[in-house]
Amino acid sequence: MISQIYMLGYRHRGLVSLFLLIATVLIGAGMHRLQVDTGIDSLIPADDPSRLVYQKVMGEFGTDNKTIIYIKDQNLWTPGKLAKIEQLHFAIEKIEGVSRVNSLFTLHTLHGVDNKIITRPLLIAAPKTEQEALDARESALANPLYQGNFFSDDGKVTAIIVSVEDREDSNNFSRNIHLALEEQLEVHRADFEYMAQVGPPRISAELKNSLYEDFILLGPLSVVILVLSILIFMRSWLSAMVPLVTSLLTIIWTFGMLGWLGVPLNILSAMIPSLIIVIGSTEDTHMMAAFLRGLDENPGENSQKKAVQYMANHIGLPMILTVLTTTLGFASNLFSNIGLIQHFSFAATFAMLANGVITVLVMPLMLSLFGSHKNSSMAKGKNRLPDRIVSVFRYSQDRFPISILVFTAILCAFFIFQASKLYVTNDPLSYFPSDRPLIQDTKRIHEDLAGIKIFFISLEAKQGKAFQEPKNIQKLDDIQRFLADQGVYDRSISLADHLKFINHEFRGDTAGNALPQTRQLVAQYLMFLQRGDLDNYVSHDYRRANIVVRHNITDSHTLNQYIEELQEVIDKIAGPDMKTFIVGQNLMVNSAAENLMVAQVKALSLLMALIFLIMSIMFTSLKGGVIALVPAIIPIALMFGIMGYLDIPLNPGTAMVAVIAIGIAIDGTIHLLARYNELCRRTSNYAEAVHAAVNDEATPLIVSSIALALGFGILIFSNFTIVAQFGALAAATMLFSIFANLLITPIIMTRIRLVGLYQILSMAIDPDVLDGSPLLQNMSNYQRRKAILISELHEFEKGELIVEQNTIGRNMHLILSGEAEVIRRDGDESRLLATLKAGQVFGEVGYIRETERTADVVATEKVSALRFDYERMQKDLKFFPNIVAKLNFNISYILGERLADMVENSKKK
Amino acid sequence: MKSLSRNQLLFFLLFSFLPIQESVGFVSDEATGTEIMEEVYKRHQQFPYIYEEQSMVMEDRNGDRDTRKARRYSRVEEDGTVKFLLLFDYPQEVKGVALLANRSPDGKTNKYIYLPAYGEQLIESAGEGSGDNFLGTDFSVENLTGEILSDHRYARRDDREVDENKYFILDVYKVNNPLTEDRILRRHFIRQDNFYITLTHHFDKHERISRIQSHHDLKAVNSNMWRANMVLMENINDQHQSLIKTSRRIFSHDYVPAEVFTAKWLYENYPHIKPAEDSDNPEEIAE
Repeated sequence: MISQIYMLGYRHRGLVSLFLLIATVLIGAGMHRLQVDTGIDSLIPADDPSRLVYQKVMGEFGTDNKTIIYIKDQNLWTPGKLAKIEQLHFAIEKIEGVSRVNSLFTLHTLHGVDNKIITRPLLIAAPKTEQEALDARESALANPLYQGNFFSDDGKVTAIIVSVEDREDSNNFSRNIHLALEEQLEVHRADFEYMAQVGPPRISAELKNSLYEDFILLGPLSVVILVLSILIFMRSWLSAMVPLVTSLLTIIWTFGMLGWLGVPLNILSAMIPSLIIVIGSTEDTHMMAAFLRGLDENPGENSQKKAVQYMANHIGLPMILTVLTTTLGFASNLFSNIGLIQHFSFAATFAMLANGVITVLVMPLMLSLFGSHKNSSMAKGKNRLPDRIVSVFRYSQDRFPISILVFTAILCAFFIFQASKLYVTNDPLSYFPSDRPLIQDTKRIHEDLAGIKIFFISLEAKQGKAFQEPKNIQKLDDIQRFLADQGVYDRSISLADHLKFINHEFRGDTAGNALPQTRQLVAQYLMFLQRGDLDNYVSHDYRRANIVVRHNITDSHTLNQYIEELQEVIDKIAGPDMKTFIVGQNLMVNSAAENLMVAQVKALSLLMALIFLIMSIMFTSLKGGVIALVPAIIPIALMFGIMGYLDIPLNPGTAMVAVIAIGIAIDGTIHLLARYNELCRRTSNYAEAVHAAVNDEATPLIVSSIALALGFGILIFSNFTIVAQFGALAAATMLFSIFANLLITPIIMTRIRLVGLYQILSMAIDPDVLDGSPLLQNMSNYQRRKAILISELHEFEKGELIVEQNTIGRNMHLILSGEAEVIRRDGDESRLLATLKAGQVFGEVGYIRETERTADVVATEKVSALRFDYERMQKDLKFFPNIVAKLNFNISYILGERLADMVENSKKK
Repeated sequence: MKSLSRNQLLFFLLFSFLPIQESVGFVSDEATGTEIMEEVYKRHQQFPYIYEEQSMVMEDRNGDRDTRKARRYSRVEEDGTVKFLLLFDYPQEVKGVALLANRSPDGKTNKYIYLPAYGEQLIESAGEGSGDNFLGTDFSVENLTGEILSDHRYARRDDREVDENKYFILDVYKVNNPLTEDRILRRHFIRQDNFYITLTHHFDKHERISRIQSHHDLKAVNSNMWRANMVLMENINDQHQSLIKTSRRIFSHDYVPAEVFTAKWLYENYPHIKPAEDSDNPEEIAE
């Protein structure tokens, strides 16, 4: 059945080509609907309960979607420069989508002097004289509410804060805002020492631009790397071309499907073409290796067809398994509640499945057209690097198997210890490398003003006007003191700051930094503020108050710890009568980092459980499941250890390496185990079978792993740190998987014997033979098939000697098909003792006891027979105790029958 | 036409829509902006003693409202000094807060604020631009004191007809200041049937409308003189609006004695609230 599917592309080239063409055109048509989502929302879990609170707080106290225009100049406070800032301010106000602009032209000051209170805008318009400009500077710098928010301490930096309408980021809204702001900045850039904008629109726009750049760079680079690595290792143009065709079709299908289903591309999607090209090529490499082996084993006429058939027979099921496990690796994140990961996971999962289908159809089709060129050195075993690696590994395996296992265990333990240092971060700015202008600008703002990240601490009382009560305002002040004590935030502002400032201006230095003492005075002071001044800090009914905190913490784990500590203190300060919330888009994004960690542990566990289950079933043994996991766990342990050692955080990119790498690394293991299992049927020497399996699979495994490592490795050229980190770690993991698959797995394999479920199910043996054979009596059909599979299968041509008289052999045979004669030679005379048919057993005495054979057994037609070797059965007893015990019992029964016959015959004589 | 005195003009709007002293003047179709404004002022010459009880409703960008109640006293002395007192009664926390303004005959205006919770002390208050806003409202004192005709230039634009009412449209410019005399400050919409300014657009320095002041619930006090019982100021930039509603208006000397404009009167009637006297009564807080 499976091999028939594989042969579709060979047998029905026209039909398959037509199907591929139509499917590609129809699915690919969806590409024009593709959307790109680089919004911050996709980093926040959709079911995050704090979303509602966040939206409520934003609705009441204004958006935290603010862009800071940073302006630095040594001569900022001169009429000319201020006039330019004024022009810029009003030009920004006209930008579609800008809801509010705050700058030194919208700020108000209140100044107390000599029993006089002066309230006025900081600047009504750009000053006309130097003195006016200097007066404005003095007023601006004297107001603590503006220090760090609008002005640097030295007055050389000012900020324009632009609030943007709270819209969905459709139709490039953020990008358009960013570009419109940039256009205005460009007009004045030459007028100032330095100008820059930093805020969500720029971050979103830069994410989008970088995404496009990544698409342009990474895909073609992957193609080059893939072609080069295949050409170097396989010396076959066809081997290089096939993955390119399958990858191209897969990319069209994937992006087309994403377009049709409305799943947006995000920054992680930038690596999808590379992943398709690289991961997809591994299956192609294994299939090509099998095809070339098939050409070797089937020389002569119809060799091409036979080789394709050989490929289908030998690679069919393992490939389905590997596609399944790779897909599972990506699909394990499908239910992530973080949109960024979920969308990427969907795209990659679909891509892996589509690539599997396309490869199954395209590979035989292309082989039928171009597959006659047997120009690969891989089939001839001339690959130097894989051979060298294998020989080094084999030497170690043969000489120090236990030492290697112990060393590996110690190594893993060390790296797992290193992994304990892992921390999580999900900050969008950490997606960019530190030398990027955006990050540099962010740093400038943080150093000269305050961090661009904002969160709100919101307190809600039960009664209206609660925050006209001095004791409650004092709570705000106490919280701010704690924020200052934590020492990690740049700035916080609340109603308390405003009241302290007014009190100071009214009372002069005698007031110090004190708050007004009565609620009447609070209410009366508040009449001196513009209502817009308090929008961000207190609700209209004074029931809710808001502390605005600015910071520059990029490490989610650290921030989350501080927030947790802060929440405890706030609850304590606020008391039981008040509700408290700490909200902010930035916090939700960072909070998602912790979910990310938990989600990845779950996904990893689930994937490993699934792989264990699948492999246990496929190899009808729990040990098979465990062994399949070993080469997956080792690279993952090493990878997490390296992350801990090199201080690489767990982020949306790196968090996925483990599950994806397991899904891919297991492919090599599956091919290795499948080949080993196949070879075990031909020899009783399992060590030899392991060596042979490694020989056969090493080249495709090493080639595909190196190609994967190189393919992932090129992701380090990504504009996104998280993608680059993903690439580097995935590349390292692929290399580790070579070590695990070719050094560790073989050592373990020699100690086990597996039987594939697919072999049991696909075995074509006449049921009458099984029913009629005394060796297989009292066994279920499944047990009979498994018993057959743990034996050796041998084919004998007509006239071939199966057993030779006077030789010693500790094995017996069960004829599955054909006929054989038992002939005893006495000198020159030969006597036919018996004719053996399918289901009959011979050589059982030699099996039990080491003795000379008393007759020849000769095939009179083509015979297919199972050979049960004594030593092998002794070995298999520990692997398949039930089956071997039943076989031994049946052998005893057969021997007993024979003895009884002999006694009866002797009586007759 | 004879121009009104500077003091009379100053309080044209301050006391909301002043009573008419004498009957209709005549304005030709070719009248200039200044002539139209003179006619407006002539029709709505102030009474010297006015007492009003007002509610102020302030609505923020979210549609949330705060209400205050106040009394407004105005008095023109014989020497031409104009006195003005705005005294808050509600809410409880701001009861007794007062804005006291004096405009001397030489045109100099002083403003003082009394905060009972701060102490028995009048604090001189100065402000300009939007910093002069009226104790948390969107009105500035400047908005309510009105224009001095001689300080402004009035450019007449094409008349308009809105809802079957014909309007004069006048653009207002500052004079005697070369830096600003070309920049429009306001645009008045004056009903032609009663010469009443029903709408004023206030422009910012970039000649964009920043606030819109409109007058509603017009009542004829006598045959020519009208009053608006509601004045709305919409702040376009901040998306706030403030409404002043006059519930009671009395033109009487008895209601506006000279002593109410003194610090002594304020201290006696609204003594200093010391911290110890601050009430924690929740009912009062909730009020």
